[in-house]
Amino acid sequence: MRARYGRILARFWKNSLLREMTFRGHFLVNVVSELLWVVMLLVFIKVIFSTTPDVAGWTEDQYLFLVGTHMLVTSLFEAFFFGNCWRISHLVRTGDLDFVLIRPASAQFLLSFDRVDYSSLANVPVGAAICIVAAVGQGTPVTADKVLLFLLLVGGGVLVLYSLLFTFAVTSVWLIRQTGVDHLWFYAVSLARYPAEIYRRFAGGALWFALVFVVPVLMVSNLPASVVVRTFQPYMVVHVLVVGLVMLLLSMAVFRLALRWYRSASS
Amino acid sequence: MSKYWVVFRVALAERLVYRADFFIATFLRFIPIITTILLWRAIYDGADRTEVGGLAYRQMVSYYLFVMISRAFGSMPRLATDISADIRDGGLRKYLLQPIDYLAYHLALRVAHKLIYFVMAAAPYAVVFWLCRRFLPGWPAGETLGLSVIALVLAFLLGFAINGLIGMLGFWFLEVGSFLHVFMTAQYFLSGHMFPLSLLPEQVGQVVTYLPFAYETYYPTLILLQRLDPGEMVRVILVQLVWVVVLAAATRIAWSRGLRRYAAFGG
Repeated sequence: MRARYGRILARFWKNSLLREMTFRGHFLVNVVSELLWVVMLLVFIKVIFSTTPDVAGWTEDQYLFLVGTHMLVTSLFEAFFFGNCWRISHLVRTGDLDFVLIRPASAQFLLSFDRVDYSSLANVPVGAAICIVAAVGQGTPVTADKVLLFLLLVGGGVLVLYSLLFTFAVTSVWLIRQTGVDHLWFYAVSLARYPAEIYRRFAGGALWFALVFVVPVLMVSNLPASVVVRTFQPYMVVHVLVVGLVMLLLSMAVFRLALRWYRSASS
Repeated sequence: MSKYWVVFRVALAERLVYRADFFIATFLRFIPIITTILLWRAIYDGADRTEVGGLAYRQMVSYYLFVMISRAFGSMPRLATDISADIRDGGLRKYLLQPIDYLAYHLALRVAHKLIYFVMAAAPYAVVFWLCRRFLPGWPAGETLGLSVIALVLAFLLGFAINGLIGMLGFWFLEVGSFLHVFMTAQYFLSGHMFPLSLLPEQVGQVVTYLPFAYETYYPTLILLQRLDPGEMVRVILVQLVWVVVLAAATRIAWSRGLRRYAAFGG
């Protein structure tokens, strides 16, 4: 079974690469636009830290590391899952989901891994470079086990985001709407970008609690970054990974339920 | 004039189809503002001073709220994409055959979109502004109010001219969408949407505040914020006028030149 899924995955990635190669200009422009965004972000950070020594306890280097981590997590999600989640509501509306369901493999697997957006992967080295510059700037020793934990938590962050967005995308079986996956993604990203501590002051900390413990969107970038450049509590690591797995199982359950309601387009 | 009135009325009806979605989307639009406000709270706390970039914390919050209003006037979602798509796909022919001015047609369309937006967004905006009332300055004097309205209308025209001009690039380039992405990113920064331009270092700020983008968002927002004295407000409006005239003329020239090319393509 495993070998078969491995081969499907390899084929998906190859096809996506071929598709990407057809539109090389697209790749180039994406890279330029992302680099521009990074420059703007760095200017903004410079501006912020020219007025204050720290933001919610994060120094400039630590904040920079958070920005780099956030880029890693979001670009990995965008590369592997965003386009796939985004397409689901379209497939439901047009009834093209049928063509996925008739195939002899897990439908959730086929839907989730169909395409890779390689141009988003271009941000991975940029995010990594920012992380390295920040870590060197701060001068904290970076050990191998810290790096491994960091990578594990980046994976955990992607898992949390995937489960959340996939579940949301699947609900389009019940709700026809315009406000789609791209909206949710935009807001999730704009929440997760900042130090989690800044949310403690809002609504008596209720929002912070919900976004850290219930749906740990704030943790997807904050936690991996904290592990390397700040202190962290081991229980949080366990918590995020457990919640990530629970959310994944939930997304699978919701998907199965949704399929029972799915009635194609024309019948 | 009456034909543009029809365009206007059809666009109105079209916009009313997705009402519920609209309300949700409008409220969601304030989420990034909440995070921005919380970020600035942390910055002011860390800086341990009352003014950053010449703005007190209350004014900083108001700045971001008023930016929403300026953007509501100045933003032209999909205008450039629509125009360049018409050029590329040959859909432009449909309009050329009709006794209608293509740019005036789009302007009528946009006025309708904006009016519907203002009517429907009034309630959500009122709620958010009421919730944030302790940050806002008091009601402006009559003349400031009048000048604000003028500045906002000019921001609308400026946004239309800038995006129209970019749409015209479709005559010369096949793929405007990717360029547009880069442009939108730059505009987010240059217009003062990301943060008040007064925070920029002196020399950079001087260049940026001469560009039309600052007159689309930054300066109208400062007028709403009651940060400018009457002389400055009049100067801003005059510069806005100059930019509108220059860019509208450029759009017209691009249109007539491009049309010659376009006709040549059709054979």
